[in-house]
Amino acid sequence: MKTAFIALATGALLAVSAFAENPHAGHDAHANHTPMTAEAITHEHSLFHLDADWQTQDGRSIRLDQLAGKPTLITMIYGSCTTACPVLVNDARRIDRALPDAIRKNLQVVVVSFDPARDTPERMADYGADYDVDAERWHFLHGAPADIRTLAAMLGVRYRDNGDGTFDHSNLLTLLDPEGRVAERSEGLARPVDPIVKALERLHETPRAEAVASD
Amino acid sequence: MRTLLITLMLSLPIAVFAEEAGMVYIDGGDWELPIVREDTGQSGRVEDFLLDVHQVTNAAFLDFVRANPEWRRDQAPGIFRDAGYLSHWPSAEGLGEGNAAPDRPVTRVSWYAARAYCREIGGRLPSMTEWEYASERQRQALEIAPQDYASQLFSWYANPGAGDLRPVASGPADGLGIHDLHGLVLEWVEDFQLILGRGDDIDLLTGSCGDTARFLPEFDEAHYATFLRFQSRSNYQPVTTTSTLGFRCAYDPE
Repeated sequence: MKTAFIALATGALLAVSAFAENPHAGHDAHANHTPMTAEAITHEHSLFHLDADWQTQDGRSIRLDQLAGKPTLITMIYGSCTTACPVLVNDARRIDRALPDAIRKNLQVVVVSFDPARDTPERMADYGADYDVDAERWHFLHGAPADIRTLAAMLGVRYRDNGDGTFDHSNLLTLLDPEGRVAERSEGLARPVDPIVKALERLHETPRAEAVASD
Repeated sequence: MRTLLITLMLSLPIAVFAEEAGMVYIDGGDWELPIVREDTGQSGRVEDFLLDVHQVTNAAFLDFVRANPEWRRDQAPGIFRDAGYLSHWPSAEGLGEGNAAPDRPVTRVSWYAARAYCREIGGRLPSMTEWEYASERQRQALEIAPQDYASQLFSWYANPGAGDLRPVASGPADGLGIHDLHGLVLEWVEDFQLILGRGDDIDLLTGSCGDTARFLPEFDEAHYATFLRFQSRSNYQPVTTTSTLGFRCAYDPE
């Protein structure tokens, strides 16, 4: 827990310093959006308790608990975001590509939009196609506004609709273990892939039978 | 003010109908939160909505728990509530005396639990803007001077009386017909985590006290009294349960 806190604090610090490098960031409310610091969260409980139906980019219905049994990397974005979100999705792709084949083939990547009005499953399909990723393992999800808000709260992602097509939001990648508990978080943009890659290696080496039963 | 009165009269038949159903119809308008979050040069818009006349009671929440046992305090997943969830009830499905009596506002409920309740009955939590808008409209309808509003709030904050809560809707429904917006327990809103100073990389959750003063457009007592409510919201986590925090639901018009 302490390690997680230090990692978070470091991430936040780096996010702030990266932000400071651009003197215009944050001062032009219409051209940019403001990163929101992610909330601290508990790591002991499974996110698979969330009872919600999502739609994948190919129109299939999916629930989070269907991701059980394999690790999942999850992030939240909106499709018309041109600043932070492409970096965030690319960060997930960098992690995916940095993995040995044996680990990568088990990793599921979930990208959830918090702009359901614009980011229809069709649009999420186009969005996903731009990234040239394995559509079998990468899920670009559309959901109901209340469920999106719940998932964001569970992940500690804060976001706000600015009413002009932009959203303020936290920049966060979260790794869930096969039971749906938070195994690792990476806050900020263009962060080193190592912490999540190493966490995935640890999960790969831990026999499932020894994993503590999920609450 | 005249526009407001005319609007109120026009919406009266709906309002009367809604009150029988335990809700108040609140017509929207252009409005900005009293706490400055951004400077977009545009006024905010609040759409029409309905709001529960009184806070959700222990009795009503017990009905919900009985129908949805996954929200019993001994069954609700830990990711949705802290250890204090419904801990003032004598048992998982039993009410009692004092703050656990059927007619008292339900407290020690997490944001997740409050949302699940409202969703179950076809509503939702009000947004922070809606709640504050209702509060301001109520103050105007009652013609409470800003100074008196501030005094009443400070007096309640100083002595919240959480050890011995009154039943909900004890007094007459005045103003817009809403009971206990202030003075009983604080209330969850849907977007309580979203207090943010846009255009500056600070917000109430991470900023210092010096930062917080920058959110006030005016430094009078009424703004400060309102600001304290925003600040207490910023202390909550979605799993938080306390003896001074309950909720009521909002609804979209048909």
